[in-house]
Amino acid sequence: MENSHLLSPDNIKEKARNIRKKIIEMNSHAGEGHTGADLSETDILAVLYFHVLGVTPKRIDAPDRDRFVLSKGHGAGGLYCTLSEAGFFDESWLKTYLKPDSRLPGHPVRQKTPGVEFNTGALGHGLPVAFGLALSAKKQNLPWKTYVLLGDGELAEGSNWEAAMAAAHYKLDNLIVIIDRNTLQLADRTETIMQLEPLQKKWEAFGFEVHCANGNEPEDLLNVFHSLQAGNKQPKLILARTIKGKGISFIEDKAAWHHRIPVGDEVFAAIKELE
Amino acid sequence: MKKGMREAMVDVMIDEAQAGTNLVVLVSDSTSTSKIKPFQEKFGGKVVNVGIAEQNLVGAAAGMALGGMIPITANAAPFLLGRSNEQVKNDICYSETNVKLVGLNPGFAYGALGPTHHSIDDISIMRGFGSISIFSPQDPREAALLFRHVLHTEGPVYIRLDSISAENLAATAVGFLPGKLTIHRQGEQLVILALGTSVHHCIAAAEILQDAGIHISVVGVSSIRPMDYDQLEQILNAHETVLTVEEHSVHGGLGSLVAEVIAERQLGTRLKRSGIDEGTFAPASPGNAIRTHYRLDTDGIVASVKELAGKVQV
Repeated sequence: MENSHLLSPDNIKEKARNIRKKIIEMNSHAGEGHTGADLSETDILAVLYFHVLGVTPKRIDAPDRDRFVLSKGHGAGGLYCTLSEAGFFDESWLKTYLKPDSRLPGHPVRQKTPGVEFNTGALGHGLPVAFGLALSAKKQNLPWKTYVLLGDGELAEGSNWEAAMAAAHYKLDNLIVIIDRNTLQLADRTETIMQLEPLQKKWEAFGFEVHCANGNEPEDLLNVFHSLQAGNKQPKLILARTIKGKGISFIEDKAAWHHRIPVGDEVFAAIKELE
Repeated sequence: MKKGMREAMVDVMIDEAQAGTNLVVLVSDSTSTSKIKPFQEKFGGKVVNVGIAEQNLVGAAAGMALGGMIPITANAAPFLLGRSNEQVKNDICYSETNVKLVGLNPGFAYGALGPTHHSIDDISIMRGFGSISIFSPQDPREAALLFRHVLHTEGPVYIRLDSISAENLAATAVGFLPGKLTIHRQGEQLVILALGTSVHHCIAAAEILQDAGIHISVVGVSSIRPMDYDQLEQILNAHETVLTVEEHSVHGGLGSLVAEVIAERQLGTRLKRSGIDEGTFAPASPGNAIRTHYRLDTDGIVASVKELAGKVQV
């Protein structure tokens, strides 16, 4: 299945700007949310949903669609705003974010939201599930691919490395892992809390085909996605260097904005920066 | 003739795979634990070994279910629900993925290997999670019927599959109905409710007791969720005393479930729970010794019933 948008990098940038506005408005309206994480992943999600992923909102259950798993489930807000921008559900739903009867809960729930493939929230779950998805496609000789977006902080979870080992062992070249490498986690810098580097070498040592990209630059990301090798029996890893809170100067690269929301004048200031 | 519970499961796997059921079996270096060699010889491509990595075992099973297959996990119950507890909760139960979790060799089947290998808390854990059915078959025939049923019913399932070889019990010949209790013997005043294959010792005990003039009922419980609570209430109402027997902690298992029903429905039935004492681990001893220690063997059950009978004049 082909992506139903297939936008150019410039048009994806425009979409990313719209998604960021939605994130600011939705989180401030809800009074809660993970603003820094949502803004960090926005360009990656925009590239996926407006060009790379073989999905269409018209056939959300199509058996031949590509699968996307948001392992960093706290980025749910960014995913919802992207799905809404891509036409998976009406924009008005964003006003219901986090309400008890909403179809947009605090972490992704596949039974509730069109386009959400898997329930995440606890960290270190997405990659094993994505491994299973990719393996099932291989076992059934199906052509669709599995994409999974991991936060960098969650790489401390051992389950990721169990799945990484297995993905290489089973030669899953239909599995594309993207790391949102913003170097910040809940409380501090990732490298202060638990050293992750050298990440590129670690994933190479686990048998992955590793690529680096500017994760906030659609053109760069698209180039990397297009350069992934087919049929080489290696799972793919895209180390996407990002800025947490990207796009809003006073939110960028600050751990305190992991789950802060803009209030009062901050909302107007944030929207102004995006216009 | 006796047959192993695991062999009964593997026979169904082979039948179903031959019939075209889109199943896949995930193991974590547990091909011998699960006795799936006969299946593997015929359908090697339908076996996925993830190595000793239980979190990935369960997460991968969830993913394969989302990919349209029917994954069965087959490894030792303590590692399935201990190491991958959060994957079971989130990836299987909360996500409602069509995965069949089989907890092998539960209770104290691993006897002398000790509490690291015992699973006396699995029913307790699984009752705490939503969305999943919980079964513990009583004999090989029921294991096969149940297994076939869950492969053709969408939704997550936990099967506590005891390790023993056993004869088929007459009462399981009627087929498997989720939620229904199995009446093995109809007596008076005292009923034993037994989890899974524990019922074999209870039936043997009932035969000994009958010779001593004590006539008790024996009911097997192979379906913890769903549970026909009205049938359970009827059984409890028909007896003055109930003894629960399970290779499980008395906390959170069948005994607790029965206590809840007695309390909430205000039944007044007197309850004695046999299992691993609350707040303790079973010792690292051979399984038969542990069974004797906790009065879960035939002689122990006879002794418990005689004690209870003395008080209720059965």
